[in-house]
Amino acid sequence: MLSARAIERTLVALATSLVVLGGCNAALEAPFAAAHPDDETPRRGGTLHLASIADIATLDPPIASDMFTSSVIRLVYAGLVDFDRNGNVVPDLASRVDEVDDGLAYRFTLRQGVRFHDGAELTASDVKRSIERALSPTTPSPTASFYQSIEGYDAYASKKTPHLEGVEVEGRYLVLIRLHERDSTFLPALAMAALRVTCPSAGESYSPSLSACGAGPFRVMPGGWERGRTLTLVRNESYFRPGLPYLDAVTWQLNASNPASQAFKFSRGEIDVVRDLSQTDTIRYEGDPRWKSFVALEPVHGMQGDSMNTEIPPFDNVEVRRAVAAAIDRDHIVMLKSSNLTAVTKPVPPGMPGYDPHFEGQRYDYAAALAHMKKAGYPFDPATGQGGWPAPIVYDLARPSLQELTAMSMQQDLAKIGLRVQLRISSLPTLYSLTHRRGKSQMSPQGWEEDFPDPSNFLEPLFSSKSIGEEDTLNYAFYRNAAVDDALARARSERDPAARARLYEQTERVICDEAPWAFEFAYRFFQAHQPYVRNLHGHPVWIADVTDVWLDRERDAVARKEAPLLRALSAGLGVAR
Amino acid sequence: MTSRWRGSRAARAGLSIVVALAVFATIGPLVAPHDAFTSDFTNGVSPLHTPIGPSRHFWLGADRIYRDEFARLAVGARLSLAIGMLATLLATAIGATVGVVSGWFEGSEGTRIPWSIGIGSLGAVVLALAGHGGWAVLAIAIGLAVRVTGELARIEPLKRGPRVNVDMLLMRMVDVGLAFPFLLLVMAISAALDHTTATTVVLVLGATGWLGTARVLRAKTMQVRSLDFVLAARALGRSTPGILLRHVLPNVSGVLAIAATISVAQMILAESILGYLGVGIAPPAPTWGRMLYEGQDYYLAGPWLVAAPATAIIAAVLGFHLLGEGLKDALGARD
Repeated sequence: MLSARAIERTLVALATSLVVLGGCNAALEAPFAAAHPDDETPRRGGTLHLASIADIATLDPPIASDMFTSSVIRLVYAGLVDFDRNGNVVPDLASRVDEVDDGLAYRFTLRQGVRFHDGAELTASDVKRSIERALSPTTPSPTASFYQSIEGYDAYASKKTPHLEGVEVEGRYLVLIRLHERDSTFLPALAMAALRVTCPSAGESYSPSLSACGAGPFRVMPGGWERGRTLTLVRNESYFRPGLPYLDAVTWQLNASNPASQAFKFSRGEIDVVRDLSQTDTIRYEGDPRWKSFVALEPVHGMQGDSMNTEIPPFDNVEVRRAVAAAIDRDHIVMLKSSNLTAVTKPVPPGMPGYDPHFEGQRYDYAAALAHMKKAGYPFDPATGQGGWPAPIVYDLARPSLQELTAMSMQQDLAKIGLRVQLRISSLPTLYSLTHRRGKSQMSPQGWEEDFPDPSNFLEPLFSSKSIGEEDTLNYAFYRNAAVDDALARARSERDPAARARLYEQTERVICDEAPWAFEFAYRFFQAHQPYVRNLHGHPVWIADVTDVWLDRERDAVARKEAPLLRALSAGLGVAR
Repeated sequence: MTSRWRGSRAARAGLSIVVALAVFATIGPLVAPHDAFTSDFTNGVSPLHTPIGPSRHFWLGADRIYRDEFARLAVGARLSLAIGMLATLLATAIGATVGVVSGWFEGSEGTRIPWSIGIGSLGAVVLALAGHGGWAVLAIAIGLAVRVTGELARIEPLKRGPRVNVDMLLMRMVDVGLAFPFLLLVMAISAALDHTTATTVVLVLGATGWLGTARVLRAKTMQVRSLDFVLAARALGRSTPGILLRHVLPNVSGVLAIAATISVAQMILAESILGYLGVGIAPPAPTWGRMLYEGQDYYLAGPWLVAAPATAIIAAVLGFHLLGEGLKDALGARD
């Protein structure tokens, strides 16, 4: 039992926090100006402080799947190719990339004299070793299927051959990768995290480790990754691009899940860039002329919606799925955080090949939703509340608060067409074990952030029957349509961009109509940075693109202000100062 | 008693808070201008697309998804009070039974449990928990067989074993239970449950919240059982259950009432914590703890989203505590 004393203490603490809350509603702090705003010459030195709501999952390239982890891996490990600021694939470790055999092979000429973090020279055999290590059947890589088109992939993945036949070392600085079919997504996939080159000390196969060794612009500081707390990267002095990076170090506060405390630290200059602001703070920063040049809303790179398991009733019935897609009012969902949400009605984000601006996608239409329910055989009468699907529908989700909010809005919408949704909240690992396995989860919120700017990156993993797996499905809806499978396969090897775009347009129409997902919204991050952070740009793929960022901060100019929280506290408690 | 009651300001304050809460819970949802479960995307939204603050239509403002905070607070009061009281009822019933029985049998001779049966049963419990039902039965059978063999063959060592009385058994159970931090235990059980409803929360809180009550009641029972009227009843040949019900229980009821009142406060607090941590009743049910959780990221823009449920929790906990303290004074249980 709690003692009366403990209760008393709790009450006092609660009351105090209320007073603090009341006093906190102050105006925005002014930005910390750059020391030399007109001088564009980069300065070396300094530590960039960042924060993230999550931790990285791993420091081993093939294991990475989320964007934050991949972005950190990209800073530590160099790859043959990378994405530039426009999302184009450009040579990185390779000094040139040549297409040979009519697109059936690529030849990579490596830069000479590139050193790993441990001092060893990077050569063609390291590239081959890293690729084999990443695609080895003993490496639990969630993205291995992106590289299926490499010749000999199937034999290697099923342990029939000891080496990956399609990767050839042609010389000390020459690598040839042969494909068994033309694959327009191969180079973008290669620019992702998984096949980046690892040190010889990383070994032949994957092992969980907290250290990392690559040839990227930053090294992981020894002991620099404290799980769930901080991550510190320091400059790789022998990076192959001379002079870069400018920063001495980058450090992240991990699991900084409270947007209010991130905003507070940002206002004091304790973190230099903030991406996770609450709606109110976003609106305040957006509307403040002093901050105008230092804030940006990122473009749409992904989408979120509700995946309906097409193998479990009632969602095995296409009419019920159509009813759901028509019943969800996306404008309402957007209003839950209008500073960052945009309504989405189809899987492929704007700006990609195959994005058809004239196609509406899934549309909110309450009458149509009721009609679909009737056609499905579960007519619902909104006046009496009678009818509909008789059993509750279990909707699985974890606990990031935005999804809980959108779920409760969706729940109200579906109740109006006779689908009674029950929310089942679990921990993230439990949620994964439910949604990634066959027959475990009826309905769940899902989303996809682009790995590279191409429609195949959205449509293939989510809607091709090839990505259905018993234990690790990415096709969460277990959606199967032969025509979709066929069109996706043809688009992958199609070399004419217009024909390829047409195939994706057709596929998208089928998917929107058959509705394995109800597409709902996209989350656009709003980023604010202090003016002394120079040369910081948004990147279409990576989160922290900081290799050529530099700091122009006057010594000790920051973090001297009185903490507003303290001020509010003392004001609230009437402390004479 | 009544004069002591009147004299205690704390008790009167506690009683009025509790009565006010009860009134709020009863008529609040009826007078609220909106439904607690329905978002109002037209009137609940400010021009900045944030929830509107307290106003004529939304007395306590709107919440993150534009539902009426007042209606939710009132429905939440029903849930909190009902869960707090039902869980207390359950916990008090278990705690009183265990405490009175335990206190009555304290120091009694108990029965000798031969090692064979003891070890056999312990093994059976372990096996049953591991999911081997058949082996568990076998373990009991072997234990019995060894005991019977000892009896028939008159082998003294096989008959030996420690003396165990009910009190010892029950109090060791209580010790084990108290060894776990209460909230941690409740959270672990709730997290293991699939879909949490009000009933499961009541059961979980009730099943874990009786330990302290049992301890207090045991001590009081030990005091009462040596009093003259109990001895008299015994001498007159009343059965043990009869004595416990007719003579012991009425004389420990004061302590029980105090423990129960304070327990309601703790149950309400525990339920709020569960809701706040996301292992309480599943959304969209408006429990105070959940409302606090949903509002916390928004405390700058909508302080009412935090202030309303926080005030309610503070009032409820304070009210029942003061009432319990007042009862303690009134019943002269201070010493």
